[in-house]
Amino acid sequence: MAIIKAENFSYAYKHPHKVLDSINLAVEPGSFSVIIGPSGAGKTTLCLAVAGAVPQYFGGSSAGAFEVAGHDIRKTPMHTLALTVGSVLQDYETQLVAMTVEEEVAFSLENQGIDPAEIQLRVTKILAKVGLTGYEKSEVASLSGGQKQRLILASILVTKPKILVLDEPTSALDPQGIASLYRLLSALNKETAMTILVVEHNIAATLPYADHFILLANGALIKNGTPDEVLSLMAKENIFCEAIPPLWQLKFFLESHTNLKLEAWDSEEAASKELTKLLQKKVSGNA
Amino acid sequence: MRTIAPLTKLIFTVFVTLWAIMLQSLPALTLLILVQVIMLIFSKVGKTVFKGIASLFVFAGMLAGIQYVFNQDIMLASVTAAKMSAMTLVFFLLLSTTRMQDLSAALVLQCHMPYEYAFMLTTALRFIPDFLAETKAIQEAQACRGYTIEGNILRRLLSYMAIIKPLVLKAVTKSETMALSLELRGFGNKKTRSFGNDVKLNLSDYTLLLSMLMITSYVVAKIY
Amino acid sequence: MLELKHVIFSYKAQSTTIQDVSFTIKAGEFVGIVGQNGSGKTTLTRLIMTLKKPTSGELYWQNSSMKNAVPAKMAQHIGYIFQNPDRQIFHDTVFEEVAYGPKQLGFPSEKINNVVDEALEATGLSHLAKAYPLSLSRGQKQRLSIAAALSMQPKMLILDEPTSGQDACEREKILKLLLKLLQNGTTILLVTHDMELLAQSANRAIVMLHGRKVFDGSVSELFQNSQLVAWGLSQPASLKISKMLAAFGVAPTCSTQELGTNIVELWEGK
Repeated sequence: MAIIKAENFSYAYKHPHKVLDSINLAVEPGSFSVIIGPSGAGKTTLCLAVAGAVPQYFGGSSAGAFEVAGHDIRKTPMHTLALTVGSVLQDYETQLVAMTVEEEVAFSLENQGIDPAEIQLRVTKILAKVGLTGYEKSEVASLSGGQKQRLILASILVTKPKILVLDEPTSALDPQGIASLYRLLSALNKETAMTILVVEHNIAATLPYADHFILLANGALIKNGTPDEVLSLMAKENIFCEAIPPLWQLKFFLESHTNLKLEAWDSEEAASKELTKLLQKKVSGNA
Repeated sequence: MRTIAPLTKLIFTVFVTLWAIMLQSLPALTLLILVQVIMLIFSKVGKTVFKGIASLFVFAGMLAGIQYVFNQDIMLASVTAAKMSAMTLVFFLLLSTTRMQDLSAALVLQCHMPYEYAFMLTTALRFIPDFLAETKAIQEAQACRGYTIEGNILRRLLSYMAIIKPLVLKAVTKSETMALSLELRGFGNKKTRSFGNDVKLNLSDYTLLLSMLMITSYVVAKIY
Repeated sequence: MLELKHVIFSYKAQSTTIQDVSFTIKAGEFVGIVGQNGSGKTTLTRLIMTLKKPTSGELYWQNSSMKNAVPAKMAQHIGYIFQNPDRQIFHDTVFEEVAYGPKQLGFPSEKINNVVDEALEATGLSHLAKAYPLSLSRGQKQRLSIAAALSMQPKMLILDEPTSGQDACEREKILKLLLKLLQNGTTILLVTHDMELLAQSANRAIVMLHGRKVFDGSVSELFQNSQLVAWGLSQPASLKISKMLAAFGVAPTCSTQELGTNIVELWEGK
């Protein structure tokens, strides 16, 4: 049973310019999917649809069906959907509304009417999870960009959503920040079977963790499949191939210049391991 | 001050304002100002607050000066300035010793203000520093394109557009994003909201409220 | 062209401090400034643009002290491209937006038309000259802010994370544009987290760590440095793999093409 299911879903902020065009999408619970595609492909709109903000908040016109955990996104109030879907927006700094770190996290729980004693416990626990222990009383404004992002993540995770949607979460992070964010997301995905949906330009950073790539172009869903399937299609059909990570460019280069069929590399280590094995065989064969 | 319930502080604010309006004697008003300054010192508020207070006194002095020029009555001028200082100081005291979230909880739970209004009030205060920072960032960005404020008033106003337009645009997008993100964080759900803040009144609060009432009746009795 | 001598900058209780940084940039260089968030990269470029003044130490532009320089005047020498173009856009057309800088610098009107046309041409925005700037895509807006800087005919460009948040096609366009500008003699300072971009563009790299300059040398030397990871940086994928395959005689390279060719040759036993 898919947890996110779109059938012929189309959406336009202003008719007739379709931002999403007849999308058919099924995302399995517990999957880690990365939405990729050139800018203007409809990636952000797709994220907003999962949270019900499209069409509920933005208006516009829509057609087809879109369900999230069995809820029709057009009929279920957004605050009800918020119990299932947690969203980290592109401009996540604006999502922060409170003065201090602990108040920020508590805000999400207060909105759900949770008992103050329990709020305190859950706030402490989730701040530890994202690595913000010790910052409880700090002012939100005093945090760095990366810490602010962890704070909004904590504020969302504390409500225990089944689905976590992140729109370009790494554009302001440095390489270490990117790696640690994805490690955190991957841990959540594995430990709690949380479904993760993330928009990312830096495809290479997601290779070790993603099990699905969703490729969008001009509002249409080109392919939803394993990273291998999607990247191979991009290379073969010459779709948005600038975005193929250098690691896979190497793989496709080798495959097109030799008769080799290489594995689906998820890291440089995996690549050199396989290449070492192949070259060793070659050397011993020659000798 | 920080251990006192926000409601007590709100009521204190109202009372101080009342006293400042009623009192006509300069020594009494001076006492009121002094007490507040001592309370601020004991509350260990930051340097920036005292800087604000310093400029408040400068402003009050200017006000007294202007009044004196018009009326030639030094007593009236000083009393007016003292009244203004006493009234403004109490807001410094309230805002620097109360967390925004507690204030909004007190306004909603005890003063029965609708949550949306209380939230708007506290969020507006929260975003002021953000906008000051944004203004500075825009100024810097435009300076790198040769932006300066020179020439006559008309030219200056025109060149300010380079700052104002991006700032307004930012304010609009920011408020839109904020409204959206509030929805996404389940804010629209009115029935279930809870408050994690402990804003209940305790014994010391009741004592303070009682003494405020007593001071007021004394002031009233003395004057009338 | 640009020289920093023992520059120190401290900012209240903030971590964005610069501690005794010195270096010289020669005309025609392409220098990448890299390091973790909060290492002082952006503060450094702000000091160069005179948006901030050093607490001690001095900066020199073409051998004259920048002590009394202001950003609005530096703009005719150095073009600064911010990460967020939205903070600069306020005109009704792309053309007017790009013309703002030269107007502020007091260029004569015929010259303004020429420099704007050239800047739009270089950034591939000529066809959008009459468009409403806010209707542009994110990538086009970024190129618009580059055009707005180019129209002031600066000798040096400083770019702060120009490719962050941009898709792969846009990134490619910006890379090509930078290389072309370099060819035409523009000196470029690029602040970036993107190691692949650094490898594809810059010849020299300056690494910042906790406000100090910890490395200054060629990009290829940087990637060979054993401290790379400790500085919060990483190697391009091809270099990582080529080093792991060094035992087979694979030469270290940042180019995927080169590495691929090398491995194919080995595989075919040439």
